[in-house]
Amino acid sequence: MDPKPNQSFETDFWKDAKLRKAWDDIVPGESRRTVPYTLTLEAIQKYCRVIGDLHPLYFDEDYAAKSPYKGLIAPPAIHILLMFSCTPTDDWMRSPGTVNAGQSWSYNLPARPGDRIRLEARALDKFIRKDRLFVVHDNVFFNQHNEVICSGRGWTIRPA
Amino acid sequence: MSNYFDTISIGQVIEGTPFHPTRETIREFCEASLDFNPLHLDDDYMKGSFGKTHFGGIIMHGMNNFGVISKMITDWLYPHGGVHRRLETRWKSPVKPGDKITPSAVVTATKVSASSRWVTLDIKVVNQRDEIVAAGEAMVEFPIDN
Repeated sequence: MDPKPNQSFETDFWKDAKLRKAWDDIVPGESRRTVPYTLTLEAIQKYCRVIGDLHPLYFDEDYAAKSPYKGLIAPPAIHILLMFSCTPTDDWMRSPGTVNAGQSWSYNLPARPGDRIRLEARALDKFIRKDRLFVVHDNVFFNQHNEVICSGRGWTIRPA
Repeated sequence: MSNYFDTISIGQVIEGTPFHPTRETIREFCEASLDFNPLHLDDDYMKGSFGKTHFGGIIMHGMNNFGVISKMITDWLYPHGGVHRRLETRWKSPVKPGDKITPSAVVTATKVSASSRWVTLDIKVVNQRDEIVAAGEAMVEFPIDN
């Protein structure tokens, strides 16, 4: 596994906003550039605490080691963090005003602390409905063994 | 544990833990999810209109809702050896600081496939006024070797 630290994360979503594709420029089928991310136990537990999910599979190493998972894991919905971790600053997913309309995710294997995560992503579809500009994005997260962790689609309303 | 699947009935209800979003939890969700969209941070920005939608202030991340639903599913499954396999959600109405949201699920079908056992569920999340803020479907697996 590549132990190098993650890049620092830009929290100002206005930065590079002009570099991002608008709805008009997004081509369904076109890949999105992504960046690999090393998932840490700290990041997993930070997410869990905010949701109020203190299950010992995410916090208690001894409990997790004796479980069918044989070690600490991340909860399935950790893709919430992985999505932005693996998305560069010039990606349209970060455009201010992007409204999440719905999501659909399938889970294969749990992510684990220390996993080096890779995202394959693309715009899949775009359409206009009720005067709103929609894009469907398609995403698959892999671990360092090239195993699928989860795959999913998101429906977002793009800023006009 | 292995017989749990056989006890599941259509219409069975699973109740999740209520969640109370505040400005602080929304800010913490920004930090934990790395989603710093101004929708969740900037009240001035949120005074504007988004197409036909006017929020009037910051809103909770839809994916916070997703996480609350997913926790309900894993809380139900882990003691029974089940595996959370799928969750689809649609956000029906925004959630704001001070709201209280409560997820629940209803079993809609069970299915035995060639090598495993599955349950599908309808999902909803209601706020303190009993308005549906999220709806969706989930699918879970109860592996035979468990």
